[in-house]
Amino acid sequence: MAGLSETKGPVRRKKLKTNTGAGYAFLAPALLFYSIFFVYPVVFSLIVSTKRWNMLVPLSRARSVGFSHYSYLLSDQVFLGVLRNTLIYALATVSLTIVIALILAVLINNAKLSVLWRFIYFAPVVTPQVAIGTIWGYLYRPNNGLFNSILRLFGMKPVYWLTDPNVALFSIIITAVWAGIGGSMLIITAGLKNIPQDYYDAAKIDGAGPFRQFFYITVPLLSPTLLFLTATGFIGAWQVFDLPFTMGRNAPARSVMTVSWYVYETAFQSLRMGRASAGAFLLFCVIFGFTLLILWLFRRGGIKGYE
Amino acid sequence: MKRSLVLLAVVLCVLLSFSGFGKTKLIFAVHWSDYQVEGVKDENGNVVVKGLKQYIEEYQKLNPNVEIEIQSVPFDEYLKRILISHTSGVIADIYVLYSLWGVQLVDSGILDEVPKDVVSKVKSDFVKAAVDGATIDKAIWGVPVEVANYALVYNKKLLQEAGFNEPPKTWDELVAMAPKLTKRNPDGTVAQYGFAFLSGWDSAVVHPYLALLYSNGGKPFKDDFTECLLTSKEAIEALEAELKLFKNGATDPAASVWNFPTGKVAMMIMAPWYETALKLGFKDEYEATVGVAPIPYLKKPATVGYTWFIAVDSASKNKKAAWDFIRWMTLQDAGGFTRMGELMAKNIGSIPPNKKDIAFFKEELNDLYTSAFVKELENTYQEPNIAQGQEIKTILMREIIEAWNGRKTAEQALNDAKKQIDKILEEFYK
Repeated sequence: MAGLSETKGPVRRKKLKTNTGAGYAFLAPALLFYSIFFVYPVVFSLIVSTKRWNMLVPLSRARSVGFSHYSYLLSDQVFLGVLRNTLIYALATVSLTIVIALILAVLINNAKLSVLWRFIYFAPVVTPQVAIGTIWGYLYRPNNGLFNSILRLFGMKPVYWLTDPNVALFSIIITAVWAGIGGSMLIITAGLKNIPQDYYDAAKIDGAGPFRQFFYITVPLLSPTLLFLTATGFIGAWQVFDLPFTMGRNAPARSVMTVSWYVYETAFQSLRMGRASAGAFLLFCVIFGFTLLILWLFRRGGIKGYE
Repeated sequence: MKRSLVLLAVVLCVLLSFSGFGKTKLIFAVHWSDYQVEGVKDENGNVVVKGLKQYIEEYQKLNPNVEIEIQSVPFDEYLKRILISHTSGVIADIYVLYSLWGVQLVDSGILDEVPKDVVSKVKSDFVKAAVDGATIDKAIWGVPVEVANYALVYNKKLLQEAGFNEPPKTWDELVAMAPKLTKRNPDGTVAQYGFAFLSGWDSAVVHPYLALLYSNGGKPFKDDFTECLLTSKEAIEALEAELKLFKNGATDPAASVWNFPTGKVAMMIMAPWYETALKLGFKDEYEATVGVAPIPYLKKPATVGYTWFIAVDSASKNKKAAWDFIRWMTLQDAGGFTRMGELMAKNIGSIPPNKKDIAFFKEELNDLYTSAFVKELENTYQEPNIAQGQEIKTILMREIIEAWNGRKTAEQALNDAKKQIDKILEEFYK
């Protein structure tokens, strides 16, 4: 036996070595792509965030300012204000989208023409956000917009949907929820299909009504799906740019400005690339922290989901 | 074999030089729309009004060794185009630049020094507002190609319906007239605005305010830009003058100057380039409807203006060729006028800043719309060329809108603007 292992050992090691090389060779294109399009920009942005740079001169000529951009932003009322707007937007859109999508998915799942319903609700997902923002802008018009026309029918006062600073952000949230329901609904529907019918049959025999079935079978068994939607929803919502930018340009001051919009404006209008990069990194930290928090909360509820 | 390879190389070189490879190539970046670049064409595709392209073709015929490529970028993307091109190293040789961006471009060494003969021509041949626009730190950095200012544009029919035969001359008259021109729906929403501002666009917010500020005898900054003066008595009064229109119900933050062509706005403060949109909006009724007058003043007639100037990139490999083209296009006499003046007056619909062009294109500039703007050039204060001009403009816009919405008083809004702007000035001027 010993002789056998002695002769096989080097051969195995050689094979392993050859396989390792081949593995790296196969990984090389992906690693190269990842390095060029992810690692390099991230490192570059990190360096930029410590400089006072307007992009018009070479970065090497830009003055180093350490982490002063970060301390400026964390004490800047404007940045803290847009952070607050984005937090409200993220919490509202993610929670409303998931709750409504869940209810609709359950209703449509067993309804007649379910494919047609899914198609109708999914249509906004494939529509560009800028187009959605423009069309909803017309619906929100104070004089001849659809929503105020409806309010007038009921004798109610018109609402300045996009120009009243107390209302504008919520108007955009309504649009975002409408636009996002279809995608979430489709994923929840896939989750619903994976719940065995036996559970519902057994629950019915035990006398459970539709609401008990929903809260004790559907929701718990959909938890991994809901975890996925919550995590990805928050990541997307924190980065939102297009809808607020399209719809909120007439909103007063910065009542609907989000962090991404602030970063964009700081970079390309104020030409402060360093401050904008620092803002982007702070946004990354917030998203990272928020995602960890969500995973922790779900774990505490016994849901491990996607590991 | 060696001999035939050398022969092949020589033939290739000759062919390449004949095919234009040896030409001096210039890239000319502009923010103009298609018809301004390609020319206005009739139904058969024939050019009826020349665009930039036709002038360039003419120049290329006269200078066969020069090839000029036009790169047209929308206004919103234009500054980004300059930034990104410098980062990537693919620059344009010639730019048409908004004066507000000038300081940063000059401070960053982006613009080439203007040849002395060009500087003296600019000083002698162009209107003062335009020369001020192209001047940064007491030096001229390009040739002005367009000067724009603001005036009161009003709907003659709506004014007559309300019993007014003349537009207001003073701001107090405007404040008194505007509510009488406002009509409301039964639910309280405004069906017709006596006066309209526009909330979402910095120029539409800041420029009318600056016009009132100058009219009230104030100014936004100290001359050396070390301090913002927006908390001065004159500055606060100017914003309070605007707020009177919100308080007396003549306007609200939802109003929009873009609704003027629908006949739902009686008065607004607007620039010369809006003429085409008004003609398209009112069609046959244009002349009977649209009227233009100086901005109603507080203490003295004043308006604000801005300039676009043509400049050469300091990193251009063909600076001489670029300046030669600029001389030909903007300074050289083409029969009593300059080519750029012709392009501005006939195609783009803007006021050419060269005095010779203003005198020559009387027909184009003396129409019912543009003539008022031309006359107002003498009362035009150039928007200050200041470092971080765009950032400062955005800050001021936001604070003015806060006041429009009643979230701050004029004094609070301008105090907050001053705090933010002074921080920037401290960074760049102290």
